[in-house]
Amino acid sequence: MKLTQAFSLGREAVEPANALPSNALLWLIGSFAILLAPQWDRLPIWLVAACGILAVWRWLAQEGRVRLPGRWLRTGIMLVLIAVYVATVQGRFTVDTAASFFVLAVGLKWLETRSTRDFYVLFFILVYLAGVNFLFQQNILWALVNFMAVALLLVGLQVLNAPDLPSDMPSGWRRLGGLLLKTLPVVVLLFVFFPRMAPLWSVPLVSGEARSGISDTMRPGDISNLAQSSERAFRATFGGEMPAYRDRYWRGLVLDYLDGETWRQGREEGFRRPGRIAMDGGVGPLDGREYDVLMEPTDQRWAFALEGSSAVSDNVVEEGDDLFRFRRPADSTMRYRLALDESRSPGNAELSPAERRRFLQLPASGNPRARELARELDQRFSDEGVVDSLLSRFREQEYFYTLRPPAMPEEGIDALLFDQKRGFCAHYAGATTFVLRAAGIPARVVVGYQGGDSGAGDEYLIVRQYDAHAWVEVWLEGQGWVRIDPTAAISPARIESGLRDAVAEEGSFLEDEVLSAQKYGDMAMVQWASLQLDRINYQWQRWVVGYQGQSQMDLMSRLPGGIGMRELGYLTAGIVGAGLLIAGLFSALQLRRGERRDDFQKVLLSWHRACESAGVPVRQGETPSTLADRLAQARPSVTETARRFARMVNSHYYKASSESDGQELRRMRRLLGTMKRQLREASKGRQPHSESGTTS
Amino acid sequence: MIKVFRERWQRWVNRRVPRSDSQSFNQKNIFILPTGAGVVFGILLLVMLITGINYQNSLIYLTTFLLGALFVGAMHQTHRNLSGLQLTLTQPGEGFAGDEVPYRFRASAGKGPAIAIRLSCEDSNLAPFHIPAGQAMDVTLPVPSAHRGYLRPDMVRIETRFPFGLLKAWSWVRPVSPAIIFPRPVAAPDAGSTVEDGDEDSARRPTIGNDNADLRPWREGDLSQRVMWKRYARTGQMVVADWEGEQGNPQWLDFYAFAGADNELRLSYLAWQVLERAKGTTPFGLNLPGQVIEPDQGQAHVTRCLRALAVWGEEPPRDAISAQHGTRWHEAPREKEAAA
Repeated sequence: MKLTQAFSLGREAVEPANALPSNALLWLIGSFAILLAPQWDRLPIWLVAACGILAVWRWLAQEGRVRLPGRWLRTGIMLVLIAVYVATVQGRFTVDTAASFFVLAVGLKWLETRSTRDFYVLFFILVYLAGVNFLFQQNILWALVNFMAVALLLVGLQVLNAPDLPSDMPSGWRRLGGLLLKTLPVVVLLFVFFPRMAPLWSVPLVSGEARSGISDTMRPGDISNLAQSSERAFRATFGGEMPAYRDRYWRGLVLDYLDGETWRQGREEGFRRPGRIAMDGGVGPLDGREYDVLMEPTDQRWAFALEGSSAVSDNVVEEGDDLFRFRRPADSTMRYRLALDESRSPGNAELSPAERRRFLQLPASGNPRARELARELDQRFSDEGVVDSLLSRFREQEYFYTLRPPAMPEEGIDALLFDQKRGFCAHYAGATTFVLRAAGIPARVVVGYQGGDSGAGDEYLIVRQYDAHAWVEVWLEGQGWVRIDPTAAISPARIESGLRDAVAEEGSFLEDEVLSAQKYGDMAMVQWASLQLDRINYQWQRWVVGYQGQSQMDLMSRLPGGIGMRELGYLTAGIVGAGLLIAGLFSALQLRRGERRDDFQKVLLSWHRACESAGVPVRQGETPSTLADRLAQARPSVTETARRFARMVNSHYYKASSESDGQELRRMRRLLGTMKRQLREASKGRQPHSESGTTS
Repeated sequence: MIKVFRERWQRWVNRRVPRSDSQSFNQKNIFILPTGAGVVFGILLLVMLITGINYQNSLIYLTTFLLGALFVGAMHQTHRNLSGLQLTLTQPGEGFAGDEVPYRFRASAGKGPAIAIRLSCEDSNLAPFHIPAGQAMDVTLPVPSAHRGYLRPDMVRIETRFPFGLLKAWSWVRPVSPAIIFPRPVAAPDAGSTVEDGDEDSARRPTIGNDNADLRPWREGDLSQRVMWKRYARTGQMVVADWEGEQGNPQWLDFYAFAGADNELRLSYLAWQVLERAKGTTPFGLNLPGQVIEPDQGQAHVTRCLRALAVWGEEPPRDAISAQHGTRWHEAPREKEAAA
C-alpha cells in the first residue's frame, strides 16, 4: 500500500511552464493579434503595447529564453495595468471600455497561461472578444477577419488536444473545414428562422467616444478637417427618383447660438437614458417618396434627413426645428426610413417672441465691420433684399472657396468678409448668419451633408464625410424658413458636383488620405473596385447584418402559412432536432455499413463462440489451424470438419481461393452449421468427462 | 441510495462492456458527455446569444449558431474518433509488486483515424496516441501494482477528447487475462536451507573439482540414475547427488528456510534469492509448499520461479476465460506463450 502511495505522489510532478504545446500557444497568440485588428483605432496605444509585450514574454518563456514572472512581479504588473486602465476609463461604462477590459484580461492572462485549463479560459475570453468585435465592426471584411480569428482558435484547440499529430493525418484546417461544410445548412436555417426577439433589456452603449463626423459645435475650420476624410457617413436608397445633386441637403443639426467664434446648439440636448436597441428601420419595398438611410455609427442621436421629410420607421422621431433624432444614440449601424413630404413646407407659421430672440442672438460685441455692413443693408433693403444683396456680394466680389483658409484669429468674421475673402463653408455660413442676425433677420446655421455620389449600379447614394457641409436658413415673413447657401454663390461647383471639383484647382482634395480610393476618383479601375466592394458591403449590411425583428417577419410573411414568433420558435426547435436526428442516422448507417461489409468476420466470430462453448477458449493471435487442432483434441468427433473449416478460413484470408466471396461464404456457413451440430451431439455424450478433465 | 444507483450503473456498464481481452467500440458502449470546458462553452454560447439579442446584432447570432453547430459536429467527430476502434490485450505484463506492470494492447483503428486516444487505468495514464485509419498500433499501459499475485485491472478506460476537448467520449475494456505480479524482492537473511541430508558440511562446503557433489534426499521426480544406490544400500536413505561437474552446484531456495517469517516475507526473500542466483550461472531449484521447481538455470527458469512465487496460494481471478463453462484457469497456455 505504502509503495503505491509513494508512487502516486511521485507521479504528480509540478507542471513546467511549457506544459502547453508551443504550436497551440502560437495559434492562440495569432488569433489574439487578429482579434485586436478590428479595434486598432479605438484601443488605447498603451494597452495594445502592453498586450504585445506580455504575449511576446509568454512566447519567449515558452521558448525557454526567459522565465515567467513570479507571483509578486505578476501581481505588480497586474495592479499597474489595472490602475492605468481605471485612470483612462474614468468611470464610463460602455461596451468599448468593457472590450478594452477584455483585452487587458487576455494580456494579463498570458503570464498565467501554464495549464490546459488556462488555455481554455483564454479561448473563452477570445471567443467572446470576437463577439464583442461585431458590435464595433459589421462590414463584411472585418466580419471575415473575425471569423478567421475564431477559426484560428478552433484550430488551436485541435492542436492542443493532439499536439503531435503526424502530418499524414488530416490537418486541423481540413477537419474544421469539413465540420463547417457539414454544419453550414443548419447554421443558415437557424440564422433565418431563429426568432429575433426584441431586446430583453437596455444595454450599455457600444461606445461613448466621439467619432469622426460632424459635431454639435462649429468653429471656423472644423468642417474643413472633416473634408479630409473619405469615410462613409451613410448610404441612402430612394423609392423613386434620386433628387438632383444640388438638392441633396441632408440636415442634421441646427446651430443657433453664437458663443464668441463658436456656433452651438441653443437648446442643450439633455441626458436621456439610452433606450433599447431598435434595429427595425422599416420593411417592405420603398414607395415612391420614401427613402431608406443606412447610417454608420456616430454615437449621437441625430439622424440626417432631406428637407421636408417625415419619419416612417419607429426608430426615428421628429423633434423641433424639423430635425430627427434616434431614441438611442447610434452606437452601431442604424437603418431608418423617411418619406419626402411636400406638404410639410413650414408655410406661414409665426415665430414666437422666444424663438425670435433665439434666432437673433449675437454676442454683445465683436466684428464691428460686419455689424456696420448689416446696418447699412438693413437700411437700404427689405429682408429679402438683404439676403439677395449679401449673396450677390459673395457671388460678385473675389471670394474664394478653399480647403486651406488662412488663420483668422481675431474678429474672424470681419477678416473673412473684408480682408481675406478665403474660407470654407463653415466660415461663410457663420458669417452670413451673423450679418443677417445683425440686420434683424432671424437666421440659423444648419449642419449636415450636401451631396453624395451614386454607388455601383446607381442603386443608392453614398455620402461621405467630405460631403459635410454648413449652410444657412433664414426666416422670411410669409415664407417661413428658407435655405440660403453662401457656398453656392461662391463656388457653384461644390453644390452642383461636389467638393472634388470645387477644389480641383487647389489640389487639396483628400491631401492627407493616401490610401483612399476616392482620392483617385479619376482612375476608373480603382473607383470601380471600390464601388463594387461598397455594393457588396451595402447588401451585406442590409440583408445579413440588418436581418432583425421586422425584416425577419417581413420575410416570413412572404412564406406560405402565417408564421409568427411562436411558429418560428417551433421551427427552430424542429431544425435543431432534425439536424441532430439526421446526423445521428447518418452515423448509424455508416456504422451499420461498416459492420455488414465483413461477413467473414461474423462467421469467424460465430466459430469462436462455438469453440468456447465447447470448452476450447480462443487465444490471442492463434491461427485458425491451431484452434482447429485444439478443438479436435477436445472433441475428436469434429476433427475433420474443424480442419476443413480452418483451411477455408486460411485460403480466404490469404487469397488462395479461386471461388467468389459469396460462394466461399456459403460453404463456410454450411460447414460451420455442421460443426455446431456435431459439437452439440458430442457434448451430450461427453459432458461429465469434460468436467472432470478440465478441473483437475 | 447512491450506492444502489452506482451498483445499478456498474451492472448496466458491465452488460455493455463484457469482460473480454478484446473490445471493439461502437454506439453500444461509447459514452459521450461534455467536459468541464464543454459546459463552460455552453454557458458562453448562451451569454453570446443574449448579447446578440440585446444588441440586435445578427453577426453575433451567426457566430453563436456557428459555434453551436460546430459543437454538435464535434460531438459526432469525437464519437467517431472512438467508434470502430478495437482494443485487444495482447500481453498482460509481469513485474514486481510496487512497480508499474506493462499491459500491452494492440489498438486497431476502424475506417476513420483514431486521434488523441488516451488509455488510463486508475492513476496511470498514457500519453495520447494516434492511429491512422485502418492501421494498428501497439501501446503499453503501465498499471501500478500493490502486491504480488494476479493483477487484473477491473476497467481500463479509453478516452478521447479530440478535436476540441469540449466533449469526451469514453469506454472501457475489462480485460480477462491477469498480469502476474512477482513478490517484491527483499534481501534475505543468511539462512540455511532445510533441504539437507543431515550433513551440513556437504551442502555448504565449497566444492572443488569434479568429484564433489551436493547430496540431498530423494524427492519425487528425481532421476533414478542420480540416486546413490550404494549409500542407500548402506544407510537405507535414498540420497541424490547433484554433480557440480555436469551442471554446477544446484542450490535450493527453500520456503521453509526463514523460520518465523511471515509467508509473504518468505516469498519476498525467495524472489530476492532468485534474482541473486540469476546473476550467476549456478543452477538452482525452488521449493515451495505444494510446488517444487527443479534446479535449472537461464532466463526462462528464473521467470518460471518468479511466477511460481507470484501465484503461490493465489486463486486466479474469477470469470476468466470461459468461466461460464466451469473450466478453471490454468497456467499451461501462458507458459507456452512466454516460451514462444
